[in-house]
Amino acid sequence: MFNLLAVLLMIFNPGDDMVIKDQWIRPGAEKMATALYFTLENNGSEADTLFAVETDIAKMVQMHETYSNGDVMGMKEIGEIIIEPKSSVKLEPGGKHIMVMKLKRDIEKGDEVEFKLHFKQAGKKIITAAVRD
Amino acid sequence: MVSTILILISCQSKYPLDKDLTRKNYTFFNQDSVGVIFPDIIKGKVTVIGFIYTNCPDICPMTTHNMYLTQQKLKKNAIENVLFVTVTFDPDRDFPSVLKKFGEIRDIDFTNWVFLWGDKKNTKSLLKRFDITALKTDSTYFDDGELTYSVMHTDRISLIDNESRLKKNYRGSKVNLEELYNDIINLGE
Repeated sequence: MFNLLAVLLMIFNPGDDMVIKDQWIRPGAEKMATALYFTLENNGSEADTLFAVETDIAKMVQMHETYSNGDVMGMKEIGEIIIEPKSSVKLEPGGKHIMVMKLKRDIEKGDEVEFKLHFKQAGKKIITAAVRD
Repeated sequence: MVSTILILISCQSKYPLDKDLTRKNYTFFNQDSVGVIFPDIIKGKVTVIGFIYTNCPDICPMTTHNMYLTQQKLKKNAIENVLFVTVTFDPDRDFPSVLKKFGEIRDIDFTNWVFLWGDKKNTKSLLKRFDITALKTDSTYFDDGELTYSVMHTDRISLIDNESRLKKNYRGSKVNLEELYNDIINLGE
């Protein structure tokens, strides 16, 4: 009975299709901003969308993308990140990232910080990111 | 004659710039709020200079980290007389104490690394000297009413020789660390 339930959960729980890995965050001082990076792997058959990120350690969290115009760099808010089925999206330095703004405390190398990621299909996922540079 | 020309061409390609930075003085404050004059502080030293703002989450930390790695490598190899300088192009927020905190949280060794804050006039003037663009953009209000903003900026680390001449520019966030290290060593010889 339990085996059957487990199989059914595996089949019908779309949350398991979203794998979040390689998460890390840069150090940052209180009141400053920093960036969170990770890889989103969608193993499901439907596209999914990351539409919000929350954390207790900052006043505001936004999804951003760095762009360049020659050697001039800027950032823009992107609002959401779509992960196509059977594909992955890498948030990485110089590209898409989670901007963590107005930190409530210092976060230092070796610390770990918790984030809640909200997906349209996979629901809420909690991750712990190591602080490194 | 031919070999002399070849040597000159080789030096020029390794260090494509040769800009005298001693023609104008700029007043700045370091991370300990001590007043300093640029370029007096770089006199006689090979200098690696980077331009950042501390609220930058992505590019400027990469630039700073690249400078940090270079500083650590030089230290490990007992290479002396190299100065690291970081200039903020966000004088409205990056006061000396903020710059100090930015460095401390990254374990930066301040022994040969100085962070510089200047007023808007001095900052703008120095940025122009280095052909750095920095424009406020993309502002947002926090729920407490405080305004925050991003800065669109040139991604830059520059190398200056011990005669205060700007010799080469690099992409700050993407610099080839081996190239930068070798350029520093060659300039110091």
